[in-house]
Amino acid sequence: MASAQQRLDSVLGHVKVPQRPAGTAKLLQKNPDDIVITLAVRTPLTKARKGGLKDTPLDDLLIALLKIVREKSGIDPNLVEDVCVGNVLAPGQAYVARSAVLAAGFPVTTAASVANRFCSSGLLAVQNIANQIIAGSIDVGLAVGAESMSGTADDGAPKMSSQILNHPIASQNEQPMGRTSENVAGQFSVTRKAMDEFAASSFQKAERAQKAGWVDDEIVPIKVHFKDPKTGQVSEQVISRDDGVRYGTTAESLGKIRAAFPQWAPSATTGGNASQITDGAAAILLMKRARAEQLGQPIVGKFCGATIIGLEPRIMGIGPSYAIPKILGKVGLSIDDVDVFEINEAFASMGVYCVDKLGLDPAKVNPRGGAIALGHPLGCTGTRQIVTALSELRRQDKRVAVTSMCVGTGMGMAGVFVSEH
Amino acid sequence: MLEFRTEGFNGYAVKYSPFFDSRIAVAASANFGLVGNGRLYILNLTANGIQAEKWCVAHVDALSVIEETLCGAITNAWTLFRFDTQDSLYDTAWSEQNEHQIVVASGDGSVKLYDISTDQFPIQSWQEHKREVYSTCWNLVSKDTFCSSSWDGTIKIWSPQRPTSVLTLPTHSCTYSSAFSPHSPSILSSVASDSHLRIFDLRTPSSASNHLVHLIPIHGPPPTLHHQTQAHPPSECLTHDWNKYRSTTIATAGVDTMIRTFDIRAPKQGPTAVLQGHEYAVRKIAWSPHLSDVLLSASYDMTTRVWSDGSTGNGGEVQGGVVQHPGMGGAGATSGLGRNLGRMDRHTEFVTGVDWCLFGAEGWCASVGWDKRLLVWDVRAIMGT
Repeated sequence: MASAQQRLDSVLGHVKVPQRPAGTAKLLQKNPDDIVITLAVRTPLTKARKGGLKDTPLDDLLIALLKIVREKSGIDPNLVEDVCVGNVLAPGQAYVARSAVLAAGFPVTTAASVANRFCSSGLLAVQNIANQIIAGSIDVGLAVGAESMSGTADDGAPKMSSQILNHPIASQNEQPMGRTSENVAGQFSVTRKAMDEFAASSFQKAERAQKAGWVDDEIVPIKVHFKDPKTGQVSEQVISRDDGVRYGTTAESLGKIRAAFPQWAPSATTGGNASQITDGAAAILLMKRARAEQLGQPIVGKFCGATIIGLEPRIMGIGPSYAIPKILGKVGLSIDDVDVFEINEAFASMGVYCVDKLGLDPAKVNPRGGAIALGHPLGCTGTRQIVTALSELRRQDKRVAVTSMCVGTGMGMAGVFVSEH
Repeated sequence: MLEFRTEGFNGYAVKYSPFFDSRIAVAASANFGLVGNGRLYILNLTANGIQAEKWCVAHVDALSVIEETLCGAITNAWTLFRFDTQDSLYDTAWSEQNEHQIVVASGDGSVKLYDISTDQFPIQSWQEHKREVYSTCWNLVSKDTFCSSSWDGTIKIWSPQRPTSVLTLPTHSCTYSSAFSPHSPSILSSVASDSHLRIFDLRTPSSASNHLVHLIPIHGPPPTLHHQTQAHPPSECLTHDWNKYRSTTIATAGVDTMIRTFDIRAPKQGPTAVLQGHEYAVRKIAWSPHLSDVLLSASYDMTTRVWSDGSTGNGGEVQGGVVQHPGMGGAGATSGLGRNLGRMDRHTEFVTGVDWCLFGAEGWCASVGWDKRLLVWDVRAIMGT
């Protein structure tokens, strides 16, 4: 019979600590019910009222992008059951969303809805579609983020009830976003110098990415009507390039710009260290892994979850410093497990604070520049960040990205994505 | 909770007598079954003990009180027969035919039949297996045969009357557990270290397949063209049991810590239910003789847990923080999913054996472990823990 050693080996074989994948290994597992991304694209981001998309209203922008998605993905449009459009400012959003879906060549069976939670709308749209797929409500869905800030300006808070205006916290929502940036700079002693350095770094990273052609992997050129501001002539043009990136920007050159909000101390925010006002759109096609394999759709990434958290509206900018730890806790990752952070640069003040507070490696944060260099089309940003993050993970041959943004009225949202290039 | 110490011997298996509600057999081995002797204990609850049991049935809440007051005296509540063997004992099974007879599975490859009305020696000993015998099970329907399975990759079928085995079924894999169907005299099953559940039907011609009718991969089907992801890797399967009410349902469990149920009518469909929660390998599972959806598990994680496989839609319901079970005095419930109903973590070492009492109220069970203790307890007392 077996020796005592063999019997011992048998028992040891039974009590081997079961290989339970944790952290990154667990996140990278491939299961049939994973929510995967089979297409992630965006339009160029161009300056509002000046750039290539200035004469393209939201509906035309959506139609142009949706047509590209339909063609580029090769998916049977009949299979796309719902389209969720993240948009913040457009009046009649819900009319525009559904109408654009139909005009872009989707059948009447393809539904549409709108997601609006300010700057997180694009990520919320992705979460909404993913949740519908998880719940079994739909099999295939499209999440879009789109904003035409040329046509619809952000006029701030509307008139609100006296119950809100007299409430100590709710009343903070009257404050314009610029003031919340100054609040963050003031309360957390973020200096003008640190903000200009952060902003300059965003421009420099964006310049490098643009010159090296990295962003060409994200952008789908779109054909739009453009009215020449000098001659007044309208022509059809193909827009294929982000126009917000100012080459050669340094902290010193930004240091010369005057304060944007001299009325609010410490008046550290300028036009150079805050996000630009921009037009743009992005789209993410989502389905379960099993469905993607069945349809032969190429899997480019995986949605691993998203979360939201609130905070005092007057310092809304630091939302990511709460949202990122919250989502990392939910998926069982640590900061070091993340390869790329896309944190929306609403203002340099919150950017500096969040990177510092979370102890992030600056090289991992917005490696292709952020909203300060590229612009911040409010509803588009949340979706655009995912497109950028997946492309950058592909380039670096890395896996895990976190996208996050601060949200007006005092919130932070964050999501986790895995590249499966 | 009643306790008996198997001093000097680490428990490996426990079985209630099918004839007497107070008789329990424990197979145990010195030095954790690695080297040295084995011992078979035949234990009876005496009048004192039975008295305690009646209390417990009537007042589940009073269990802890009983424990406090009786703890010192409990050892005296047992009367004791014991049989010593040259090598470790890994399993035991009561005869379904003769209330005095019991068979043991030994580390030296032998299968021995004892009669507790006779002396210290076995009335039969069969030396055919070439390696450790790890399980034995009596035929519950015809009652005239029993089976054994071994690390030598075979299952053997025996008759107490015959000097050699009746039949040998090869599995070619270290076979940790074999069992006769409680519904048919000619169907038996096994699980092995190759992560497969085998079903044999002795009515089929032996021919090339040696009566094998199903070979079911426990870890899941292999990847197909459209589903290229495999949820779980293969892992050693250590234990399985036939459901006592649903003749086609078998539960399996092993090193990957998961308990799965299979419907052998649909052998290619994968598990019907997957019960997760144990932190280490599951060493023994046993379906309730009273409730068709309830089973007990004993694990290397030192716990014994009770589960519902959700098949009756009676998966237990949390009421006021306490999980109730309709069969166990609770109100009606609706959940259709398998779930953990409770855990017993009084063992201080690997739990290796667990068995239900066939008689009386529907919650009494016994467990043994490497902590050299037999614990007799009421599942209803741990519901919701």
